[in-house]
Amino acid sequence: MKNHPVIDVHGHWGPWFFAMDIGDVAENLRVMDEWGISLQIVSASEAVTYDAPGGNARLAEILAANPRLRGYLVANPNDPAATEADLRRYAGTGLFCGVKIHTGYPRREISSPQMRDTFALLNEYAATILIHTWGGDVLDLPGLLAANPRLRVIAAHMGANRWDLAAEAARDCDRLYLEPSCSITDAGQVAHVAARVPAGQLLFGTDATLIDPAVSFGQVEDAALDPATAEALYWRNAAALFDLAAPAEAAYAAR
Amino acid sequence: MRAEPIRYDCDTLCGTWPARAELDFRPEAVRAKLTAAGIETGLVCSGRGAWFDDIDGNTETLAAGPGFVPVGTINLRHALRAEAELDRIRAAGVRAVRLFGPLQGCEPVFPGYRHVVDEVLARGLLPLVEGDIRSCWPAFADRGARVVFLDVHAYHLADFVLLARREPGFVASTRLLNAPDSIETVVGEVGAGHLTFGSRTPLHDTSPAVLRMRHARLSDADWAAVTGGTLEALLKNRVKP
Repeated sequence: MKNHPVIDVHGHWGPWFFAMDIGDVAENLRVMDEWGISLQIVSASEAVTYDAPGGNARLAEILAANPRLRGYLVANPNDPAATEADLRRYAGTGLFCGVKIHTGYPRREISSPQMRDTFALLNEYAATILIHTWGGDVLDLPGLLAANPRLRVIAAHMGANRWDLAAEAARDCDRLYLEPSCSITDAGQVAHVAARVPAGQLLFGTDATLIDPAVSFGQVEDAALDPATAEALYWRNAAALFDLAAPAEAAYAAR
Repeated sequence: MRAEPIRYDCDTLCGTWPARAELDFRPEAVRAKLTAAGIETGLVCSGRGAWFDDIDGNTETLAAGPGFVPVGTINLRHALRAEAELDRIRAAGVRAVRLFGPLQGCEPVFPGYRHVVDEVLARGLLPLVEGDIRSCWPAFADRGARVVFLDVHAYHLADFVLLARREPGFVASTRLLNAPDSIETVVGEVGAGHLTFGSRTPLHDTSPAVLRMRHARLSDADWAAVTGGTLEALLKNRVKP
């Protein structure tokens, strides 16, 4: 348990199609309490894997009833009209603070024309995007960010098996952030990234409730970061990025 | 969070690892990581045997020193000398053999893989098996085999539970059972005798597996089994010569 707030920038709500008995929001709150996570920014698993508008709508109801959660609207790069409709529908509700994009389920690479158009659309809304990265595709993000100056992007899983490339991508692009969640825990990846990327671009994500927060907490612990960098990663950077300092401190004080 | 020692880690490595040359695989460095994490004993295998030469690798493993149980390996690409090498390491006290199928590009249906499995089991040695449980299980099925699958992932939990229901000797490492309820589900479905702790130190960070284990919602008896008792029984109950 940390002596400061923790903001998890990569969470999910809802069931998955694997053999795991999760899905109820009570499981989000259980793991948050167990690990001292003050706030969690979540996307609906249904929206990520299948039906973006439907999952976003169901998540909105959950968010309204659970003040320690914030939402990512899921954007399906194959359906820009639905994305724009959802952006307008939930603007001003305070429920959603970013946009989540997957690449695997919609089968659109970061380099695809559909992703280019989706980023251009989201640039109009000055969105903060959490996007799934795996392998070398993380290197496609700096170009997309250069073309869309109002966006800020979090590379989910920090490139997974190519966290070295994620560090390269983020080092020269101050609107690209990295978070470590991943079931594969290559030794030293967080320390490698932290040694090369400005501390202000490091974030903490867990992928819970798909993956137990133990994994990401363990990765960061083994990196043995200096206290200031660790605190920046665990919450201060996310508080600034999403304007969540006050609610994070309040949730921490109330635990 | 539980603070008791974890008695056995079924998945540790020493030697060197060409893809991660910057990591410290010396036995004393690995031992220090395990000690810091509260792990008493690691089943260790040298990367030399996985990547290059099984005979020299096994000799290196046998020299790992205190705090380790040596685990042999056999080059699945050069299975013609498997029997002699298995006899040699067994005579030296080795009780378990690690199979690096994916790293060596050898699938469970390959003749060399099947031959090595047969010879390992015939000698009462405990196989520690890398690879996707969904494809490597048939080589061990329907023969009363005791075997530890090192790479059972939370996403494949249903497949493992279905196998474990019919195979009393099938055991999974905890390392990739990292959904919030995976460890608890396996224990609840088939019992703690089908799970044993593993971290893959030093190739992977140690703390993710350790923290998940220490937070597992298990009874004291089940926690003790997963962190030691299950593996101890596997090593003791091997077939006698």
